[in-house]
Amino acid sequence: MTTKTIYDFYKLLENDNISFSYRGGFTNNVLTTATQLFKENIGEEHSKLKNKLSFLMIESFQNISRYSEQEGTDILEDTSEFFMTRNVGDTFYIISANLIDNDKIPTVKEKLERVNTLDKSELNKLYREVLTNKQISEKGGAGLGFIEMVRKTKGKLPFDFVKVDEKQSMFFMQIELKNPKVDDGLEPLPLSDAKFVQEIVADENILMMHKGDFSKEAVGPMLRMVEENMQNVSLKVHKKIFHFLVEILQNISKHAYPINNKREGIFQIGFDDNKFHIGTGNFIAKDEVANLKNQIEMVNSKTKEELNELYRKYLREGKSTKTGSAGLGLIDLARETTDKINFEFIEINNNYSFFSLTVNF
Amino acid sequence: MLDLYIIEETEYTPEIILDKEAGVFRIKGRAITENAQEFFQPVINWFLKYFNKPNKETKLVLNIDYLNSSSSIQIMKIINLFENNLNKNNGLKIIWFYNSDDEKSKEQGNEFKLSTSVNFELTKIKSTNNLEDFNFN
Repeated sequence: MTTKTIYDFYKLLENDNISFSYRGGFTNNVLTTATQLFKENIGEEHSKLKNKLSFLMIESFQNISRYSEQEGTDILEDTSEFFMTRNVGDTFYIISANLIDNDKIPTVKEKLERVNTLDKSELNKLYREVLTNKQISEKGGAGLGFIEMVRKTKGKLPFDFVKVDEKQSMFFMQIELKNPKVDDGLEPLPLSDAKFVQEIVADENILMMHKGDFSKEAVGPMLRMVEENMQNVSLKVHKKIFHFLVEILQNISKHAYPINNKREGIFQIGFDDNKFHIGTGNFIAKDEVANLKNQIEMVNSKTKEELNELYRKYLREGKSTKTGSAGLGLIDLARETTDKINFEFIEINNNYSFFSLTVNF
Repeated sequence: MLDLYIIEETEYTPEIILDKEAGVFRIKGRAITENAQEFFQPVINWFLKYFNKPNKETKLVLNIDYLNSSSSIQIMKIINLFENNLNKNNGLKIIWFYNSDDEKSKEQGNEFKLSTSVNFELTKIKSTNNLEDFNFN
Protein backbone atom coordinates (compact mmCIF):
# COMPACT_ATOMS: atom_id res chain seq x y z
CA MET A 1 0.00 0.00 0.00
CA THR A 2 1.51 3.32 -1.05
CA THR A 3 0.27 6.89 -0.97
CA LYS A 4 -0.07 6.68 -4.75
CA THR A 5 -2.27 3.57 -4.68
CA ILE A 6 -4.57 5.29 -2.20
CA TYR A 7 -5.17 8.04 -4.71
CA ASP A 8 -5.66 5.54 -7.53
CA PHE A 9 -8.15 3.66 -5.40
CA TYR A 10 -9.97 6.86 -4.58
CA LYS A 11 -10.21 7.70 -8.29
CA LEU A 12 -11.59 4.25 -9.00
CA LEU A 13 -14.39 4.88 -6.50
CA GLU A 14 -14.73 8.57 -7.24
CA ASN A 15 -18.46 8.39 -8.02
CA ASP A 16 -19.30 6.24 -5.02
CA ASN A 17 -21.28 8.11 -2.39
CA ILE A 18 -20.31 5.39 0.02
CA SER A 19 -18.50 2.12 -0.41
CA PHE A 20 -17.17 -0.55 1.83
CA SER A 21 -15.21 -3.67 1.04
CA TYR A 22 -13.98 -6.49 3.18
CA ARG A 23 -11.68 -9.37 2.48
CA GLY A 24 -11.00 -12.03 5.08
CA GLY A 25 -12.69 -14.47 7.35
CA PHE A 26 -16.42 -13.89 7.31
CA THR A 27 -18.30 -13.62 10.54
CA ASN A 28 -21.60 -12.15 11.54
CA ASN A 29 -19.75 -9.22 13.07
CA VAL A 30 -18.60 -8.12 9.66
CA LEU A 31 -22.15 -8.27 8.45
CA THR A 32 -23.47 -6.31 11.42
CA THR A 33 -20.83 -3.65 10.92
CA ALA A 34 -21.44 -3.33 7.21
CA THR A 35 -25.20 -3.04 7.58
CA GLN A 36 -24.81 -0.49 10.40
CA LEU A 37 -22.37 1.53 8.36
CA PHE A 38 -24.86 1.86 5.54
CA LYS A 39 -27.84 2.42 7.80
CA GLU A 40 -26.05 5.29 9.49
CA ASN A 41 -24.45 6.83 6.45
CA ILE A 42 -26.60 6.56 3.37
CA GLY A 43 -28.18 9.64 1.90
CA GLU A 44 -31.59 10.89 3.03
CA GLU A 45 -33.08 10.30 -0.43
CA HIS A 46 -32.37 6.58 -0.06
CA SER A 47 -33.60 6.17 3.50
CA LYS A 48 -36.61 4.11 2.42
CA LEU A 49 -34.25 1.49 0.99
CA LYS A 50 -32.47 0.88 4.29
CA ASN A 51 -34.36 -2.25 5.32
CA LYS A 52 -34.27 -3.77 1.87
CA LEU A 53 -30.56 -3.07 1.63
CA SER A 54 -29.87 -4.71 4.99
CA PHE A 55 -31.92 -7.72 3.98
CA LEU A 56 -30.01 -8.09 0.72
CA MET A 57 -26.66 -7.67 2.41
CA ILE A 58 -27.59 -10.47 4.79
CA GLU A 59 -28.70 -12.70 1.90
CA SER A 60 -25.52 -12.00 0.00
CA PHE A 61 -23.45 -12.74 3.05
CA GLN A 62 -25.21 -15.99 3.77
CA ASN A 63 -24.73 -16.89 0.18
CA ILE A 64 -20.98 -16.57 0.61
CA SER A 65 -20.97 -18.87 3.59
CA ARG A 66 -23.41 -21.27 1.92
CA TYR A 67 -21.29 -21.86 -1.14
CA SER A 68 -17.94 -21.31 0.38
CA GLU A 69 -15.71 -24.07 1.68
CA GLN A 70 -14.04 -22.10 4.42
CA GLU A 71 -15.45 -20.97 7.68
CA GLY A 72 -13.54 -17.92 8.79
CA THR A 73 -13.50 -16.45 12.25
CA ASP A 74 -10.85 -13.81 11.93
CA ILE A 75 -9.90 -11.19 9.39
CA LEU A 76 -6.44 -12.64 8.82
CA GLU A 77 -7.59 -16.21 8.67
CA ASP A 78 -8.77 -16.50 5.13
CA THR A 79 -8.53 -13.81 2.53
CA SER A 80 -10.05 -15.45 -0.51
CA GLU A 81 -13.54 -14.17 0.22
CA PHE A 82 -14.61 -10.69 -0.74
CA PHE A 83 -17.62 -8.59 0.00
CA MET A 84 -18.42 -5.09 -1.16
CA THR A 85 -21.33 -2.70 -0.93
CA ARG A 86 -21.37 0.57 -2.80
CA ASN A 87 -23.78 3.30 -3.74
CA VAL A 88 -23.35 5.07 -7.05
CA GLY A 89 -26.08 7.43 -8.21
CA ASP A 90 -29.46 5.91 -7.47
CA THR A 91 -28.25 2.32 -7.23
CA PHE A 92 -26.80 0.17 -4.47
CA TYR A 93 -24.54 -2.70 -5.41
CA ILE A 94 -23.76 -5.67 -3.24
CA ILE A 95 -20.96 -7.79 -4.57
CA SER A 96 -19.78 -11.09 -3.20
CA ALA A 97 -16.91 -13.29 -4.25
CA ASN A 98 -15.85 -16.60 -2.84
CA LEU A 99 -14.15 -19.81 -3.83
CA ILE A 100 -16.38 -22.58 -5.06
CA ASP A 101 -15.57 -26.16 -6.03
CA ASN A 102 -15.58 -26.49 -9.79
CA ASP A 103 -17.94 -29.47 -9.68
CA LYS A 104 -20.62 -27.34 -8.00
CA ILE A 105 -20.58 -24.66 -10.67
CA PRO A 106 -23.18 -26.21 -13.01
CA THR A 107 -25.80 -26.41 -10.22
CA VAL A 108 -25.27 -22.83 -9.06
CA LYS A 109 -25.14 -21.58 -12.63
CA GLU A 110 -28.38 -23.31 -13.50
CA LYS A 111 -30.17 -21.78 -10.50
CA LEU A 112 -28.93 -18.30 -11.32
CA GLU A 113 -29.78 -18.56 -14.99
CA ARG A 114 -33.25 -19.73 -14.08
CA VAL A 115 -34.05 -16.83 -11.72
CA ASN A 116 -32.55 -14.35 -14.17
CA THR A 117 -34.97 -15.33 -16.95
CA LEU A 118 -38.23 -15.56 -15.00
CA ASP A 119 -40.77 -12.74 -14.79
CA LYS A 120 -42.48 -11.63 -11.60
CA SER A 121 -45.35 -14.12 -11.52
CA GLU A 122 -43.08 -16.99 -12.54
CA LEU A 123 -40.74 -16.06 -9.72
CA ASN A 124 -43.55 -16.03 -7.18
CA LYS A 125 -44.69 -19.40 -8.45
CA LEU A 126 -41.17 -20.82 -8.18
CA TYR A 127 -40.79 -19.30 -4.72
CA ARG A 128 -43.90 -21.09 -3.44
CA GLU A 129 -42.91 -24.29 -5.19
CA VAL A 130 -39.51 -24.33 -3.60
CA LEU A 131 -41.01 -23.56 -0.21
CA THR A 132 -43.70 -26.24 -0.34
CA ASN A 133 -41.73 -28.94 -2.12
CA LYS A 134 -38.93 -28.41 0.34
CA GLN A 135 -36.46 -29.37 -2.35
CA ILE A 136 -33.34 -28.60 -0.42
CA SER A 137 -30.06 -28.45 -2.26
CA GLU A 138 -27.04 -30.21 -0.85
CA LYS A 139 -25.99 -27.05 0.96
CA GLY A 140 -29.50 -25.95 1.83
CA GLY A 141 -31.57 -23.32 0.16
CA ALA A 142 -32.56 -24.64 -3.27
CA GLY A 143 -31.70 -21.21 -4.55
CA LEU A 144 -34.33 -19.60 -2.36
CA GLY A 145 -31.78 -16.90 -1.56
CA PHE A 146 -31.35 -16.14 -5.26
CA ILE A 147 -35.13 -16.04 -5.77
CA GLU A 148 -35.48 -13.60 -2.88
CA MET A 149 -32.72 -11.38 -4.22
CA VAL A 150 -34.39 -11.13 -7.60
CA ARG A 151 -37.84 -10.57 -6.10
CA LYS A 152 -36.58 -7.82 -3.80
CA THR A 153 -34.55 -5.98 -6.44
CA LYS A 154 -36.79 -6.59 -9.45
CA GLY A 155 -33.59 -6.99 -11.39
CA LYS A 156 -31.13 -9.55 -12.59
CA LEU A 157 -28.18 -11.07 -10.77
CA PRO A 158 -25.02 -10.70 -12.84
CA PHE A 159 -22.55 -13.47 -12.00
CA ASP A 160 -19.32 -15.02 -13.18
CA PHE A 161 -16.95 -17.86 -12.37
CA VAL A 162 -13.23 -17.28 -12.72
CA LYS A 163 -11.15 -20.43 -12.67
CA VAL A 164 -8.43 -20.49 -10.02
CA ASP A 165 -7.13 -24.03 -10.50
CA GLU A 166 -8.36 -27.53 -11.36
CA LYS A 167 -10.38 -27.72 -8.15
CA GLN A 168 -11.76 -24.28 -7.49
CA SER A 169 -13.07 -21.11 -9.07
CA MET A 170 -13.90 -17.65 -7.82
CA PHE A 171 -17.66 -17.12 -7.84
CA PHE A 172 -18.68 -13.47 -8.35
CA MET A 173 -22.20 -12.21 -7.96
CA GLN A 174 -23.73 -8.76 -7.95
CA ILE A 175 -27.03 -7.59 -6.51
CA GLU A 176 -28.38 -4.30 -7.82
CA LEU A 177 -30.92 -2.35 -5.83
CA LYS A 178 -32.24 0.71 -7.63
CA ASN A 179 -34.08 3.51 -5.89
CA PRO A 180 -37.36 3.80 -7.85
CA LYS A 181 -37.87 7.37 -6.58
CA VAL A 182 -34.66 8.72 -8.05
CA ASP A 183 -33.41 8.30 -11.58
CA ASP A 184 -29.83 9.19 -12.31
CA GLY A 185 -30.12 7.98 -15.90
CA LEU A 186 -26.89 6.03 -15.49
CA GLU A 187 -26.22 2.58 -16.86
CA PRO A 188 -25.68 0.08 -14.03
CA LEU A 189 -22.06 -0.70 -13.22
CA PRO A 190 -20.94 -3.89 -14.92
CA LEU A 191 -19.81 -6.84 -12.80
CA SER A 192 -16.35 -6.39 -14.32
CA ASP A 193 -15.95 -3.19 -12.27
CA ALA A 194 -16.39 -5.15 -9.06
CA LYS A 195 -14.04 -7.85 -10.29
CA PHE A 196 -11.45 -5.20 -10.90
CA VAL A 197 -11.81 -3.84 -7.36
CA GLN A 198 -11.50 -7.37 -5.96
CA GLU A 199 -8.36 -7.91 -7.99
CA ILE A 200 -6.79 -4.73 -6.62
CA VAL A 201 -7.61 -5.38 -2.97
CA ALA A 202 -6.21 -8.90 -3.38
CA ASP A 203 -3.03 -7.66 -5.07
CA GLU A 204 -2.52 -4.91 -2.51
CA ASN A 205 -3.47 -7.13 0.41
CA ILE A 206 -6.17 -4.73 1.55
CA LEU A 207 -8.38 -6.27 4.20
CA MET A 208 -10.85 -3.49 4.66
CA MET A 209 -11.69 -0.37 2.72
CA HIS A 210 -14.20 2.37 3.30
CA LYS A 211 -14.87 5.40 1.19
CA GLY A 212 -17.48 7.92 2.12
CA ASP A 213 -18.41 11.05 3.99
CA PHE A 214 -16.41 11.18 7.21
CA SER A 215 -18.10 14.23 8.64
CA LYS A 216 -20.19 12.01 10.88
CA GLU A 217 -18.73 9.77 13.52
CA ALA A 218 -18.22 6.99 11.00
CA VAL A 219 -15.42 5.64 13.10
CA GLY A 220 -17.80 3.67 15.37
CA PRO A 221 -18.71 0.79 13.04
CA MET A 222 -15.09 0.57 11.87
CA LEU A 223 -13.83 0.24 15.40
CA ARG A 224 -16.37 -2.44 16.23
CA MET A 225 -15.23 -4.33 13.17
CA VAL A 226 -11.58 -4.14 14.17
CA GLU A 227 -12.39 -5.09 17.72
CA GLU A 228 -14.49 -8.08 16.90
CA ASN A 229 -12.57 -9.45 13.95
CA MET A 230 -9.04 -9.18 15.16
CA GLN A 231 -9.17 -11.44 18.16
CA ASN A 232 -6.13 -13.32 16.92
CA VAL A 233 -3.78 -10.36 16.95
CA SER A 234 -2.17 -9.31 20.20
CA LEU A 235 -3.79 -6.67 22.36
CA LYS A 236 -0.89 -4.38 21.60
CA VAL A 237 -1.39 -4.51 17.83
CA HIS A 238 -5.11 -4.37 18.33
CA LYS A 239 -4.86 -1.19 20.36
CA LYS A 240 -2.51 0.34 17.86
CA ILE A 241 -4.92 -0.24 15.00
CA PHE A 242 -7.71 1.14 17.11
CA HIS A 243 -5.67 4.15 18.10
CA PHE A 244 -4.59 4.92 14.54
CA LEU A 245 -8.12 4.59 13.27
CA VAL A 246 -9.53 6.98 15.82
CA GLU A 247 -6.89 9.63 15.21
CA ILE A 248 -6.82 9.35 11.44
CA LEU A 249 -10.56 9.15 10.86
CA GLN A 250 -11.31 11.98 13.25
CA ASN A 251 -8.63 13.99 11.56
CA ILE A 252 -10.38 13.55 8.23
CA SER A 253 -13.70 14.45 9.76
CA LYS A 254 -12.26 17.67 11.20
CA HIS A 255 -9.85 18.85 8.55
CA ALA A 256 -10.95 17.46 5.20
CA TYR A 257 -11.89 20.05 2.61
CA PRO A 258 -15.67 19.95 2.26
CA ILE A 259 -16.97 19.39 -1.26
CA ASN A 260 -20.76 19.62 -1.66
CA ASN A 261 -21.03 19.68 2.14
CA LYS A 262 -19.32 16.33 2.42
CA ARG A 263 -15.94 15.59 3.90
CA GLU A 264 -15.02 12.74 1.65
CA GLY A 265 -12.26 10.36 2.42
CA ILE A 266 -11.03 6.85 1.95
CA PHE A 267 -9.35 4.57 4.40
CA GLN A 268 -7.78 1.14 4.07
CA ILE A 269 -6.30 -1.47 6.34
CA GLY A 270 -3.87 -3.89 4.79
CA PHE A 271 -1.67 -6.70 6.00
CA ASP A 272 1.53 -7.59 4.22
CA ASP A 273 5.03 -8.80 5.14
CA ASN A 274 3.84 -9.37 8.68
CA LYS A 275 2.95 -5.73 9.09
CA PHE A 276 -0.26 -3.81 9.24
CA HIS A 277 -0.67 -0.85 6.94
CA ILE A 278 -3.22 1.85 7.41
CA GLY A 279 -3.79 4.36 4.65
CA THR A 280 -6.10 7.30 4.31
CA GLY A 281 -6.85 9.85 1.66
CA ASN A 282 -8.87 13.03 1.64
CA PHE A 283 -9.03 16.50 0.14
CA ILE A 284 -7.40 19.40 1.88
CA ALA A 285 -7.59 23.13 1.24
CA LYS A 286 -4.59 24.24 -0.79
CA ASP A 287 -3.54 26.94 1.63
CA GLU A 288 -3.20 24.32 4.39
CA VAL A 289 -0.87 22.08 2.41
CA ALA A 290 2.40 23.85 3.25
CA ASN A 291 1.65 23.89 6.96
CA LEU A 292 0.62 20.25 7.13
CA LYS A 293 3.65 19.24 5.10
CA ASN A 294 5.92 21.07 7.54
CA GLN A 295 4.25 19.44 10.50
CA ILE A 296 4.65 15.91 9.15
CA GLU A 297 8.23 16.56 8.09
CA MET A 298 8.93 17.95 11.54
CA VAL A 299 7.64 14.87 13.37
CA ASN A 300 9.31 12.59 10.83
CA SER A 301 12.67 14.20 11.55
CA LYS A 302 12.49 13.51 15.29
CA THR A 303 13.81 10.52 17.17
CA LYS A 304 11.44 8.53 19.38
CA GLU A 305 12.88 10.22 22.48
CA GLU A 306 12.39 13.67 20.99
CA LEU A 307 8.84 12.75 20.07
CA ASN A 308 8.16 11.57 23.61
CA GLU A 309 9.42 14.86 24.96
CA LEU A 310 7.41 16.85 22.48
CA TYR A 311 4.35 14.78 23.31
CA ARG A 312 4.61 15.62 27.00
CA LYS A 313 5.25 19.27 26.26
CA TYR A 314 2.14 19.52 24.10
CA LEU A 315 0.11 17.50 26.55
CA ARG A 316 0.98 19.93 29.34
CA GLU A 317 0.25 22.92 27.16
CA GLY A 318 -2.98 21.41 25.94
CA LYS A 319 -2.10 21.94 22.32
CA SER A 320 -4.53 20.61 19.81
CA THR A 321 -4.28 20.72 16.03
CA LYS A 322 -6.27 23.94 15.99
CA THR A 323 -3.32 25.90 17.31
CA GLY A 324 -1.57 25.64 13.97
CA SER A 325 1.44 23.67 15.13
CA ALA A 326 1.66 19.91 14.91
CA GLY A 327 -1.04 18.43 17.07
CA LEU A 328 -0.77 15.77 19.69
CA GLY A 329 -2.43 13.29 17.33
CA LEU A 330 0.27 13.64 14.71
CA ILE A 331 3.07 13.25 17.26
CA ASP A 332 1.39 10.18 18.61
CA LEU A 333 1.08 8.74 15.12
CA ALA A 334 4.78 9.31 14.50
CA ARG A 335 5.68 7.70 17.83
CA GLU A 336 3.76 4.53 17.04
CA THR A 337 4.78 3.79 13.46
CA THR A 338 7.62 1.42 12.71
CA ASP A 339 8.83 3.65 9.89
CA LYS A 340 8.13 7.27 9.11
CA ILE A 341 4.73 8.65 8.19
CA ASN A 342 4.48 8.40 4.40
CA PHE A 343 2.51 11.14 2.75
CA GLU A 344 1.80 12.75 -0.58
CA PHE A 345 -0.10 15.80 -1.83
CA ILE A 346 -1.61 15.72 -5.28
CA GLU A 347 -2.80 19.04 -6.63
CA ILE A 348 -6.37 18.79 -7.90
CA ASN A 349 -7.24 22.40 -8.67
CA ASN A 350 -6.66 25.92 -7.34
CA ASN A 351 -8.72 25.27 -4.24
CA TYR A 352 -7.71 21.86 -2.97
CA SER A 353 -5.29 18.97 -3.12
CA PHE A 354 -5.54 15.29 -2.38
CA PHE A 355 -3.67 14.28 0.74
CA SER A 356 -2.78 10.64 1.29
CA LEU A 357 -1.00 9.11 4.21
CA THR A 358 0.17 5.62 5.15
CA VAL A 359 1.60 4.21 8.35
CA ASN A 360 3.05 0.76 9.00
CA PHE A 361 3.43 -1.16 12.20
CA MET B 1 -24.03 21.95 48.02
CA LEU B 2 -22.41 20.48 44.94
CA ASP B 3 -24.64 18.34 42.77
CA LEU B 4 -23.90 14.77 41.91
CA TYR B 5 -22.57 14.48 38.37
CA ILE B 6 -23.16 11.14 36.71
CA ILE B 7 -22.79 10.28 33.03
CA GLU B 8 -23.26 6.81 31.67
CA GLU B 9 -20.69 5.19 29.44
CA THR B 10 -21.29 5.24 25.68
CA GLU B 11 -19.41 3.93 22.68
CA TYR B 12 -17.40 7.15 22.49
CA THR B 13 -17.40 8.53 26.01
CA PRO B 14 -16.55 7.16 29.46
CA GLU B 15 -18.67 6.79 32.54
CA ILE B 16 -18.29 9.69 34.91
CA ILE B 17 -19.15 9.69 38.59
CA LEU B 18 -18.47 12.80 40.65
CA ASP B 19 -19.93 12.40 44.10
CA LYS B 20 -18.54 14.73 46.75
CA GLU B 21 -20.61 13.29 49.55
CA ALA B 22 -19.59 9.69 48.93
CA GLY B 23 -16.09 10.76 48.00
CA VAL B 24 -16.22 8.97 44.64
CA PHE B 25 -14.55 10.61 41.66
CA ARG B 26 -14.23 8.31 38.72
CA ILE B 27 -13.79 8.36 34.96
CA LYS B 28 -14.04 4.91 33.44
CA GLY B 29 -14.31 3.49 29.96
CA ARG B 30 -13.49 4.77 26.52
CA ALA B 31 -12.79 8.39 25.68
CA ILE B 32 -12.61 8.71 21.92
CA THR B 33 -15.17 11.36 21.07
CA GLU B 34 -14.36 14.01 18.49
CA ASN B 35 -15.94 16.60 20.73
CA ALA B 36 -13.77 15.94 23.73
CA GLN B 37 -13.77 19.54 24.91
CA GLU B 38 -17.55 19.70 24.87
CA PHE B 39 -17.77 16.43 26.77
CA PHE B 40 -15.23 17.21 29.48
CA GLN B 41 -16.05 20.88 30.05
CA PRO B 42 -18.81 20.11 32.59
CA VAL B 43 -16.35 17.85 34.45
CA ILE B 44 -13.80 20.66 34.59
CA ASN B 45 -16.48 23.11 35.71
CA TRP B 46 -17.57 20.67 38.40
CA PHE B 47 -14.05 20.39 39.80
CA LEU B 48 -13.58 24.17 39.64
CA LYS B 49 -16.55 24.47 41.98
CA TYR B 50 -15.48 21.50 44.04
CA PHE B 51 -12.08 22.97 44.84
CA ASN B 52 -13.74 25.95 46.48
CA LYS B 53 -14.61 23.59 49.27
CA PRO B 54 -12.96 20.20 48.72
CA ASN B 55 -13.12 17.11 50.89
CA LYS B 56 -10.17 16.41 53.14
CA GLU B 57 -9.11 13.67 50.76
CA THR B 58 -9.77 13.42 47.03
CA LYS B 59 -8.92 10.32 45.07
CA LEU B 60 -9.62 10.62 41.37
CA VAL B 61 -9.83 7.23 39.73
CA LEU B 62 -9.04 7.07 36.03
CA ASN B 63 -9.63 3.79 34.25
CA ILE B 64 -9.65 4.68 30.60
CA ASP B 65 -8.65 1.96 28.18
CA TYR B 66 -8.96 3.95 24.96
CA LEU B 67 -8.11 7.60 24.76
CA ASN B 68 -7.88 9.78 21.66
CA SER B 69 -5.51 12.73 21.60
CA SER B 70 -8.16 15.40 22.09
CA SER B 71 -9.48 13.52 25.13
CA SER B 72 -5.99 13.18 26.60
CA ILE B 73 -5.68 16.96 26.48
CA GLN B 74 -8.90 17.25 28.45
CA ILE B 75 -7.77 14.66 31.01
CA MET B 76 -4.53 16.63 31.35
CA LYS B 77 -6.57 19.74 32.03
CA ILE B 78 -8.31 17.94 34.88
CA ILE B 79 -4.96 16.76 36.24
CA ASN B 80 -3.65 20.34 36.00
CA LEU B 81 -6.65 21.49 37.96
CA PHE B 82 -5.65 19.10 40.73
CA GLU B 83 -2.08 20.37 40.54
CA ASN B 84 -3.22 23.98 40.86
CA ASN B 85 -5.04 23.13 44.06
CA LEU B 86 -2.19 21.25 45.73
CA ASN B 87 -1.39 24.15 48.06
CA LYS B 88 -4.98 24.29 49.28
CA ASN B 89 -5.39 20.61 49.74
CA ASN B 90 -2.72 18.03 50.45
CA GLY B 91 -5.03 15.02 50.26
CA LEU B 92 -5.10 14.96 46.47
CA LYS B 93 -4.35 11.78 44.64
CA ILE B 94 -4.96 10.41 41.17
CA ILE B 95 -4.93 6.70 40.46
CA TRP B 96 -4.59 5.40 36.94
CA PHE B 97 -5.87 1.87 36.61
CA TYR B 98 -4.72 -0.22 33.67
CA ASN B 99 -5.25 -3.84 32.71
CA SER B 100 -2.25 -6.06 33.36
CA ASP B 101 -1.87 -7.01 29.70
CA ASP B 102 -2.44 -3.51 28.38
CA GLU B 103 0.96 -1.98 27.70
CA LYS B 104 -0.47 1.00 25.86
CA SER B 105 -2.71 2.04 28.71
CA LYS B 106 0.22 1.79 31.14
CA GLU B 107 2.32 4.01 28.85
CA GLN B 108 -0.48 6.52 28.63
CA GLY B 109 -0.80 6.65 32.41
CA ASN B 110 2.92 7.13 32.65
CA GLU B 111 2.75 10.12 30.30
CA PHE B 112 0.34 11.79 32.68
CA LYS B 113 2.40 10.85 35.71
CA LEU B 114 5.51 12.39 34.15
CA SER B 115 3.59 15.56 33.27
CA THR B 116 2.34 16.45 36.74
CA SER B 117 3.50 17.01 40.30
CA VAL B 118 0.28 15.59 41.70
CA ASN B 119 0.51 12.31 43.58
CA PHE B 120 -0.17 10.07 40.60
CA GLU B 121 -0.26 6.32 41.04
CA LEU B 122 -0.32 3.60 38.41
CA THR B 123 -2.17 0.47 39.48
CA LYS B 124 -2.35 -2.78 37.58
CA ILE B 125 -5.60 -4.73 37.55
CA LYS B 126 -6.48 -8.12 36.09
CA SER B 127 -9.53 -6.93 34.21
CA THR B 128 -11.74 -3.87 34.19
CA ASN B 129 -14.43 -5.73 36.12
CA ASN B 130 -12.12 -5.98 39.08
CA LEU B 131 -12.26 -2.25 39.48
CA GLU B 132 -15.41 -2.76 41.50
CA ASP B 133 -13.40 -4.75 44.05
CA PHE B 134 -11.19 -1.82 44.84
CA ASN B 135 -11.94 0.31 47.79
CA PHE B 136 -11.79 3.80 46.43
CA ASN B 137 -11.71 5.62 49.68
